[in-house]
Amino acid sequence: MEDDRIIHTKALTKSYGPHVALDSLDISIPRGATGLLGQNGAGKSTFLKTILGLIQATSGEGTVLGYDIRHQGVEIRQRIGYMPEYDALNPDMDAIHQVRYSGELLGMNPVVAMNRAHEALQFVGIGEQRYREISSFSTGMKQATKLACAIIHDPDLLIADEPSNGLDTKAREFMISTLNTMVNDGQRSVLMASHLMDDVERVCENIILLHKGKLAAQGKIRDLKAIDREIEIHVWGGATPLEQRLIDQGFRVRREGRVMRIAHTVDDTATHILRAAAEVGAQIRRMHEYEASLEDLFLAIMDNLGYTVKSSDDLLRSPMEAKRVDAPESLGGGAS
Amino acid sequence: MNDEERLQPEAPVTGQGRMDVAWGANTGDETEQELFNANTAQGGEVFEQHYTPWRGTLNPRWMRNWAILRHHLLGIFRKGHRPWTMPTRIFILIAFLASLSDAGMTLLSGLVGSSEFHSLFGVSRDNLYGHVLGFFPRNVLYYPIIAALLVGSVISEDREHGTSALYFSRPVSRVDYVGMKFVSVGLIQALVVLGSYILYFLAEVVAYGRGWAWMVDVFPMFLAGFVAGLLLIFTYTSIGLSLSSVSTGRFFPGIGLLAIVFGTKTLASIVKNLFGREILYLISPYDCVAHVGQALIGTQTTYDQYSWTYSLVALVAMNALALYVLASRVASMEVTRE
Repeated sequence: MEDDRIIHTKALTKSYGPHVALDSLDISIPRGATGLLGQNGAGKSTFLKTILGLIQATSGEGTVLGYDIRHQGVEIRQRIGYMPEYDALNPDMDAIHQVRYSGELLGMNPVVAMNRAHEALQFVGIGEQRYREISSFSTGMKQATKLACAIIHDPDLLIADEPSNGLDTKAREFMISTLNTMVNDGQRSVLMASHLMDDVERVCENIILLHKGKLAAQGKIRDLKAIDREIEIHVWGGATPLEQRLIDQGFRVRREGRVMRIAHTVDDTATHILRAAAEVGAQIRRMHEYEASLEDLFLAIMDNLGYTVKSSDDLLRSPMEAKRVDAPESLGGGAS
Repeated sequence: MNDEERLQPEAPVTGQGRMDVAWGANTGDETEQELFNANTAQGGEVFEQHYTPWRGTLNPRWMRNWAILRHHLLGIFRKGHRPWTMPTRIFILIAFLASLSDAGMTLLSGLVGSSEFHSLFGVSRDNLYGHVLGFFPRNVLYYPIIAALLVGSVISEDREHGTSALYFSRPVSRVDYVGMKFVSVGLIQALVVLGSYILYFLAEVVAYGRGWAWMVDVFPMFLAGFVAGLLLIFTYTSIGLSLSSVSTGRFFPGIGLLAIVFGTKTLASIVKNLFGREILYLISPYDCVAHVGQALIGTQTTYDQYSWTYSLVALVAMNALALYVLASRVASMEVTRE
């Protein structure tokens, strides 16, 4: 019986001299959609290259769709579709011929490749523009063409590197729904590397989080979110004493004005909160379980690792902060 | 009614006071307004997304390599394959027609029946050499420029546009990638250099009604010229593609190849004229190929101070260096980003 895991690695390590890019990764990715998360330099690209069989792992082992990544790179690349983050299209070619050529590079007969190119471009929504030169395409159309190139041979696994990067709202929505269609209707697996947590959350049910070449977290998003369950309350009057009382009782409290989020550490957290509110005379106007977003989860995990990361809200608030975080440390970047 | 009147015991009960207590004051939010999205109809977009599975068979390695070759080769002739620029296509056509000048003159000499005319343009040891390795005009105006135009947009443009990821994320090895690009560029040059060479030979056969005996007699000479042509194409292609592999644009590899071919030739000529020594021709790819070609065909050598084997060794060395650069640069090309 074929293993349900599409990607499996055991103690996978890749070193470039003294620099360890992947540090003993034990990863198991089931069928379906999985998000690959991590900051710049976390090892995402190295991981992708290693599982594509393009670079040799220093030690450890792994399989993709049952093929050994050390010896069967050609077989792996025949059965997966890879959608690169960066431009990978000849701007002087028509979309249809570019997609057809990508099929021929997989070993498809030219006539069959042409038929499939029509189908793939229709699927990604640029069927009417397929005879246009790629240089005249918008970013969204180029992304769609790259996706068509990746799925022309109906791969079992699609590896999409930042598929919605740089897209406007409409194109982004379409890309997300297209990936969802592949997963849900087409029953194909997707490994999606992205910095856009919302997009990952909307497509994927599992995530892999890498940090400095190590595995920081893996599993179902739903299960991982449970480690950061909180109760959100809206307090009217006496918010400060209530906060202090809860902290004194050992609860982790996050507060923004009248809104507080209390970590769900014990079964009767709600009872404790209500009792504390009664004791300090604070009114609780609203109380509910707080559904953490994937970004909250990401921040919580990174926080647990002792690494300060700016949230997207912070970054949107201050473009200078965004630059500081994104830039390499030698240029004044890094966490502030 | 202001707040003071509204909160008096005799004031009518409107519920507003309770709402204020529950949700905040009624002052300070006079400028607030409700925002809502109008429920507008979506514009007519007829699109239904269906994922169509495919369960075909993927062909083996030779088919993938054939695809790369076809893509580059057919791009010269028609749309839908590698888009060579129009100036490149036009120049190749002009160079091909110009290369057939000796074939045309041979046909003309056959029609006129002039033996002087034939000795000038017809098939002979010197003319076969001249068709492939003659310096002016062929190796000044035609062949190196064709090579420069071709290599300028092969690997360097893959680096520029990121299309190398299209190859390396598929079951195409780097050896196949660079090998098929090399063969493609070489074949296009061969269409001009060797295609016109064969037509020239056929023109002699047709114009003078040459029989099998003549053909068998001349064939070794023809074959030597053919091999010399292959050597020329190989050398221009390996140097050109090595330059292409270290750049991300069309200009540098093309101009670099021309600079190497003409620069070294010019330098060797200057040294020869000033000091009477020909040794520097060993750094000139064209001179080395010409010297070896002269030895192969058996025509009188113009580099007679040194043995032709010196040129052969120099040629092997410069091709080895170029192929080493090409191989190492292609090996370092990235699939995730370039």
